[in-house]
Amino acid sequence: MKPKEELTKGIAKNNPVFVLLLGLCPFLAVSVSVINGIGMGIAALFVLLGSNLIISLIRNFIPERIRIPCYIVIIATFVTIVELTMKAYLPTLAQALGIYVPLIVVNCMVLGRAEAFASKNNLFSSFLDAIGMGIGFTLALLVISAIREILGNGTFLGLKIFSEFEPAIVFALPPGALLVIGLLLAFLNRKRGK
Amino acid sequence: MEIEYLLRIFISSVFVNNVILSRFLGLCSFIAISKEIKPAVAMSFAVLFVITMSSLITWGIFRFLLAPFHIEYLRTISFILVIATFVQLVEMVIRKFAPALYRFFGIYLPLITVNCAVLGVAVLNSEMFFQNGKPISGSFVYSLFQGICVGLGYLVAMVLMSSIRHRLELADVPKAFQGPAIGFIIAAILSMAFLGFSGFRI
Amino acid sequence: MKNNLYVITSPYCRARISTSRIMWTVSAALLPATTAAIFLFGKAAFIIIVYSIIASICTEAIIQYLSKKPITIFDGSAFLTGLLVAFNLPPTVPWWIAVIGSVVAIGIGKQVFGGLGQNIFNPALVGRVFLMASWPHYMTNFTLPFVYDAVTSPTPLTILKHSKSLPSVSYWDLFLGLRGGCIGEVCIAALLLGAIVLLFLGYISLYIPLSFIATVGLLTYLFGPTGIGSGDWLFHLLSGGLILGAFFMATDYVTSPLTKKGQIIFGIGCGIITTVIRLWGGYPEGVSYAILIMNAVTPVIDNFTKTRIYGTNIKKE
Repeated sequence: MKPKEELTKGIAKNNPVFVLLLGLCPFLAVSVSVINGIGMGIAALFVLLGSNLIISLIRNFIPERIRIPCYIVIIATFVTIVELTMKAYLPTLAQALGIYVPLIVVNCMVLGRAEAFASKNNLFSSFLDAIGMGIGFTLALLVISAIREILGNGTFLGLKIFSEFEPAIVFALPPGALLVIGLLLAFLNRKRGK
Repeated sequence: MEIEYLLRIFISSVFVNNVILSRFLGLCSFIAISKEIKPAVAMSFAVLFVITMSSLITWGIFRFLLAPFHIEYLRTISFILVIATFVQLVEMVIRKFAPALYRFFGIYLPLITVNCAVLGVAVLNSEMFFQNGKPISGSFVYSLFQGICVGLGYLVAMVLMSSIRHRLELADVPKAFQGPAIGFIIAAILSMAFLGFSGFRI
Repeated sequence: MKNNLYVITSPYCRARISTSRIMWTVSAALLPATTAAIFLFGKAAFIIIVYSIIASICTEAIIQYLSKKPITIFDGSAFLTGLLVAFNLPPTVPWWIAVIGSVVAIGIGKQVFGGLGQNIFNPALVGRVFLMASWPHYMTNFTLPFVYDAVTSPTPLTILKHSKSLPSVSYWDLFLGLRGGCIGEVCIAALLLGAIVLLFLGYISLYIPLSFIATVGLLTYLFGPTGIGSGDWLFHLLSGGLILGAFFMATDYVTSPLTKKGQIIFGIGCGIITTVIRLWGGYPEGVSYAILIMNAVTPVIDNFTKTRIYGTNIKKE
């Protein structure tokens, strides 16, 4: 596969969220506001990048049978780095994301890329793959959190956008997240079907 | 320790803050496995068992290892390692001593390692029932009970969802909505219905 | 679609009941309650009902047109859903709330599942809980009947929730509908009139409504404010949307269990959830949530109360 494809496949064709349906739980839980969404997206991008690089580097030394625990430890290390950094420099964001930051460990997207890609490919491809997938994840988060913040709160990045609009609070609540992703998936299915 | 507090944990974890429908933990498995009733039930029982046991074990680790030595920052790594090891162990034990149960659980047991509900409950327990590294009174019972209740919440959501999707097999669902999309819509309606329990007071 | 798959052996009896006939009859049975609502709440109620019905029918037509299905807006089901959405709204809501409620009811409550006969949840209630979660301040803004200047007044159940004491409304007022509440739920007398007609025609059976209402009565009597057996059960039966819900929404054929046993379990479940929410929950009223949750449980109930085909599956060994 060409390097350019490695990079772009995660953004559209194999978008981790909309196409592969991976990493949904942090995705839906933090998408209440755009700022949370971007924060989570960048955190996941960092973890994905770090774990993909390390796993790709040492892929030939990891024994086949205990590879999953090894991957998990590597991922957990990067998650802890993110967790501590966020707590130190962005305490309000850390507060808002709550338990969903440590839960990046079990985000199937990260482990999935480690198992399916980084363990089989060289450093450069793994790097591109992580960047592409991470950007895809962040963009998907941006889309859904923008929809939820505009409809549920009437704002975008905290700025009020309509003067006479009464936000539907449901979109800021858990059911709203499920509803938005359900409708979005149906919309994408319909587009793809044509 | 108070009975009322336990009751509140029960209502909160099963209905108001249902793991799947409100906290979105374990959503991947929820959408993927809820197409048929039997696997859904098998998965739920496996999750119930693992969550209960892991909230027990992780409580011990946090109480006797992480908190006394002030190494709480190792929480994520240690919890996930312990959970992964435990699941592996359970799988081996069940395979050896209860082959029928092993067949019942099937491939769902190893999948639980990456089920965010398990780690989520462990992290939640360590945040809810510990203050500044000290356990609040009754924290052990609360942790265990919260583990069981979250597992029950998973079971409830899973049984409802799989039965509904089973019935929908015969329905003329529009093409665009088939698959995960309709699953999310049903989950959204369920989640809205469970909002009726919010603000629960005893 | 031309139906050429006739399977005819025995001399079957062809019933005169058709879907559209049922739907229009139920709508007609709601006519007394509609009249009462317009009489009690005036022009506001009438406008909301009209908007809801029009929005509901238009949504159905548009979705059926887009998905290239036959357009069946005249079978009365969209009309009935629109009417029920309006019945579940307070008379003070702005027109767009009624429209959005109907669009959600038909779109997400019904057409997503494949349309009439295949929906899991009662569409009108999906619309209602969506609105409750979205615009709670509009949905809990009630006025008393015959007060047209939009002076808000809480419903008897809201008063009970906040002050923990029974409001000063006589049973007779509750029965006739002289209280604050949603458009269609207030006049118990008119609702019962319609329900009796439906029961008499055999369009609904008593299993669900009776077990639903009896459970609410029993539980509210038992768990009274001052100890076991001190509850004012009659007040609880006559207030809120219990009668409307029990006779006209819980009995929906598609979303309730098939067997008698299943229907009784369904009714009892609705009753328990309603009472739990009324007595201990955060909301004053729980009928719509109770029915929706039991709608979700219906496939499970059906699985467990399946009738056995005679001679098969006697005991699995």
